[in-house]
Amino acid sequence: MINPSNSYLYFFGCVIPNRYPGIEYAVRWVTGKDGFNLDVKDSQEFSCCPVPGIFYSTDKDTWLLLASRNLVLAQDERRQILTVCNGCLASLLKATEYLQEPKSMGKVNRVLAQIGKKYTGVPVRTEGKRRVFEPVKVRHYVELMVKDFGLDAIKEKTMHPLKNIRVAVHYGCHYLRPTEHATFEDPNDPVMIDNIVKACGATSVDYEDRLDCCGAGGGVRSHVVDLANALTLDKCAKISTAGADCIVTGCPFCLLQFDNAQKSLSKDGIPVMHVAQLQALAMGIDPISLGFDTHHVSAHSFLRKLKGY
Amino acid sequence: MAEPAKQDNTGAVTPKTEDGAAAGPKIGVFICHCGSNIAGVVDCGKVRQAAEKLPGVTVAKENKYTCSDLGQEEIIKAIRENGIERVVVASCSPRLHEPTFRKCIERAGLNAYLLHMVNIREQCSWVHSQEKEKATDKATDLVKMGVSKASMLQPLAAREVPVEPVSLVIGAGVAGIQAALDLANMGFKVNVVETQPSIGGKMAQLDKTFPTGDCAICILAPKMVELARHPNITLLSYSDVEEVKGHIGSYEVKVRRKSRFVHEDKCVGCGLCAEACPVKVDNEFDLGFGQRKAIYVPFPQAVPLKYTIDKENCLHFKSGKCLLCAKACSNQAIDHKMQDEVITLKVGTIIVATGYETYVPMRKGVYKYWEFDNVITGLELERLLNASGPTGGHLVRPSDGQVPKRIAFIQCVGSRNKKINKNYCSRVCCMYAIKDSQIINEHEPKTEVAVYYNDIRAFGKGFEELYHRVREEYGVEFIRGRPAKLTEDPNTKAITIRAEETLLNKITEREFDLVVLSTGLIPSPGSEKIGKVLNLAVSPDGFFSEAHPKLRPVDTAIDGIFLAGCCQGPKDIPDSVAQAKAAASSAAAPMYAKKVWIEPLTAVVDQELCVGCGLCVELCPYGSPELVPGEKGGMKARAIEALCHGCGTCAASCPQKAISPMQFTDTQIFSEIEAALHEPTKKQNGKKKAEAEVS
Amino acid sequence: MKEVEKVFIGGLKEELMEDKVIDESQLAPGFAEEIKKYGGKDVMTCLQCGNCTGVCPISLKIDYKTRNIIKCCQFGLKKYILSTRWVCATCYRCYEHCPADLNPAEIMIALRHIAVREGIIPPFVKTAATNLVKYGQSVRPDEEIDKIRRELGLKPVHTHDPSFKSVIREIQVLVHASKYDKLIGIQEEVKV
Repeated sequence: MINPSNSYLYFFGCVIPNRYPGIEYAVRWVTGKDGFNLDVKDSQEFSCCPVPGIFYSTDKDTWLLLASRNLVLAQDERRQILTVCNGCLASLLKATEYLQEPKSMGKVNRVLAQIGKKYTGVPVRTEGKRRVFEPVKVRHYVELMVKDFGLDAIKEKTMHPLKNIRVAVHYGCHYLRPTEHATFEDPNDPVMIDNIVKACGATSVDYEDRLDCCGAGGGVRSHVVDLANALTLDKCAKISTAGADCIVTGCPFCLLQFDNAQKSLSKDGIPVMHVAQLQALAMGIDPISLGFDTHHVSAHSFLRKLKGY
Repeated sequence: MAEPAKQDNTGAVTPKTEDGAAAGPKIGVFICHCGSNIAGVVDCGKVRQAAEKLPGVTVAKENKYTCSDLGQEEIIKAIRENGIERVVVASCSPRLHEPTFRKCIERAGLNAYLLHMVNIREQCSWVHSQEKEKATDKATDLVKMGVSKASMLQPLAAREVPVEPVSLVIGAGVAGIQAALDLANMGFKVNVVETQPSIGGKMAQLDKTFPTGDCAICILAPKMVELARHPNITLLSYSDVEEVKGHIGSYEVKVRRKSRFVHEDKCVGCGLCAEACPVKVDNEFDLGFGQRKAIYVPFPQAVPLKYTIDKENCLHFKSGKCLLCAKACSNQAIDHKMQDEVITLKVGTIIVATGYETYVPMRKGVYKYWEFDNVITGLELERLLNASGPTGGHLVRPSDGQVPKRIAFIQCVGSRNKKINKNYCSRVCCMYAIKDSQIINEHEPKTEVAVYYNDIRAFGKGFEELYHRVREEYGVEFIRGRPAKLTEDPNTKAITIRAEETLLNKITEREFDLVVLSTGLIPSPGSEKIGKVLNLAVSPDGFFSEAHPKLRPVDTAIDGIFLAGCCQGPKDIPDSVAQAKAAASSAAAPMYAKKVWIEPLTAVVDQELCVGCGLCVELCPYGSPELVPGEKGGMKARAIEALCHGCGTCAASCPQKAISPMQFTDTQIFSEIEAALHEPTKKQNGKKKAEAEVS
Repeated sequence: MKEVEKVFIGGLKEELMEDKVIDESQLAPGFAEEIKKYGGKDVMTCLQCGNCTGVCPISLKIDYKTRNIIKCCQFGLKKYILSTRWVCATCYRCYEHCPADLNPAEIMIALRHIAVREGIIPPFVKTAATNLVKYGQSVRPDEEIDKIRRELGLKPVHTHDPSFKSVIREIQVLVHASKYDKLIGIQEEVKV
């Protein structure tokens, strides 16, 4: 069960609030008092994580500065960061690793001083006169759900088991790789999202190359959208062969890619949703609150099937 | 500045009187140019000039090659004519030439241990080639330290120990068998210990050998039989070495003879027991493709041809009933109450030939060994091709027993891969894949064979020719690329391999009926235990380390213990046999001489100071010190000279400072340190000088 | 070139214009070191086994071969590499499989660092960087979405908050301090 002293700051990033507010609603609802009642609040000062495909790719110094600024906010609040996005997770987690290096921490702090901030990590105890710091903890929503609350709790809160629903799980790259970061899952055989799906009463279907990339990352979507879409549509075809009713992912950017790439299809696409949205449905939320209107691929067929039982 | 004599609390005799004249032994310093190896960096003239001024130094000379006859003559001349009593040679590492110079000064009548070597090559000129001036300073300092230590050297005498003319060979694969036969044929008694029920090792499992295509068991079996019948050889099969004590010349070895539950002297190998046995299990020898009974011999040519009960699977051990085998045996050889037996051997030398294991592909790995039926390993293919194997030599697919028409080999599985910490090349996989592609085509002409490789290493005699032949005669295709993905057709069970053909710069996808993973060689699991029992050094890849990679390839760091075969590193059969023969001749040398000289550079315990705490006994990596009752009561430590390597671990840890390693006594080392700190060669550091003046 | 003419000379003329021999003048010495400087591992240790290409989702779709790019890095063919498109999705599959324990994805990132410093800046980088210094986010806010947020009962995005101005200022200070604004060419957006 969850340690009551654990407290969190929401880190929704850029895509969720500005493109898929339904995910934000779902996360707030699931973690809120109607759901798991997590000690979590907002920070008014978080900026972009910043997005690894742009900043980590072109100037690591700038990337680390901007990420550190976000980490300092959590450090000063003595809270862990709760990310809902694979990109935010990878960017912030990698930044905490860079900051473990005293040299890069010093370099960062010399610049952060200009805005009156300093990264130290979170003080955890004192040894003699010396204070011992730990890096700011960055968690992924999925990991938090499975590890801290547990599948039994998720099952318990499932008021409307999603029977007959066949789900294709897409993990996304930054959730799994590089292996050094994603220590909570076996990168060749991840199970957490599948387990949440099962705990919600739905079936997780296996499909070919399920761990493949959505195609959007690293700036590919922004740069050569046709290429990104070609990869996504390949994956969608495999998902379709497996007969899935929807795609569930833990990453809003993968979601955005699946959602947009399928626009070019002549037939109806496969609806895509965040794992928090699926969980909220199982917990009995009114689907209207999940903002499916903002998704390009209509969720109607899926919702009809959901009501059909 | 304080006089060293005043602050000398180490009991050293300071060889310097007030006017700087020599009071201690006369020292000769010989500085070697080593061609340009040293002189190209270090200004040897300057070093000599500095050496001349050192206390005690009577002669200081330079030589182009001190190790040459000319250079040695000069040392001898100086000893004879100038009455030199201690010799300092500033040249290369003592590992290389210490024996040379010891013999040299001995020829001139000096005790061999009155030599000190200063390493100004490996530890100076080679590493400081970019800073010539500093290198000269360092060489001067090193020589100064050496001279200071040399003045403290005491004559020592090497000790002779007798050598038991009996050898122990651990492991009886082809290397162990060959080493044992060679020694036995020289007239030495040999004990051979093999953990498996039969000797023969991995070679017995192979089908044919590369590059000549000889049948492996056909050439091995005569050797196995010869070993079993040899009057000088005692074969202890199904036995493990448990404990080894002692040193070169007299090792005491405890061997556990695991119970076969069949008396070896009574069993005639008729096989009636196995016919009667109702239990069938997978045969390890056939890697799970064939079956055997719970009472079994692993393969028909097994030596000794004695049956063994597999306790894990025997019904009697499970239920207390059955005993059908015992009823079937007309010789009453079977005894379910038989116990393990521990015997003690006394041997003079040991040859370790514990072999290798093949790499087991990862679960959930890319190559789907555990998921797809038609993905097998190279050794499994050997069993499938073998006439005495589970299919009688008919190559069929595991999934449906059909003859595969398209076969792919994937090279470097478990080799040359940093991700799984197997950085080395296994040296045999290229050739066995090439050899197998030939055999496959001999069995089933027109089989399409493709080899996915990174580099083909066909380096041995006749290897390149075989590589050429399989391309010419059978059209075997070589695809340069490491496969990225394997998929299985759910209906036909055919495997599609996706790989970049790197020479085409294109990604290819091709379908095969059977995929063979050319798995690499890893240290055998038993090696780790034997390594601990014998205190053997292990290299980073997990194989045993030889004493010197070029000049002592079959010796270990421990005298009297030698390596043969794949326990030292992956190698093919000819190399294993060659190494076995080398190990046999190395082991024979001390046994033939019946004695060895042991270096006197050992630890000596001061019985007065020792309190018998036993810390040294615990820490010694060679098992040398032992606690014995002292003359005046209490337990005292004593170093067993033949075991001691003079590493100094005991001396450094002794809380009583009761132990000193000869030639590295505190006095000697302190005098070196003092010389190093006393008067820096370079212009005195201003601050230090000022401090010195104040004091 | 006119189509007819192309057929006539077999399309050879164009090919003849290109230099088919790579001489030393086209190689950038020390390129492997430069890659290391930006966080790539030593490309010289690559075995050229092609496993990275085989697992790369992009290599399956277009004429882009991970191994080939690493080979060019070893060789010092900087000109050629910097003109390749930015298509690595940083999925890190290549890294998971590399037997030499290289990290090709990080090498691609190092190459992007070098490209940006040579003035090769794809427009999307500029757009995202501009968004960041303007809105604090790399995605531009959308009025339609704001409306839906209201309907769902969510608060407006915190970046709209007047107090967020100070955050924007902080971001601009950091971007300016690391000279990123100059590097990417968005100086006029940053007012420090």
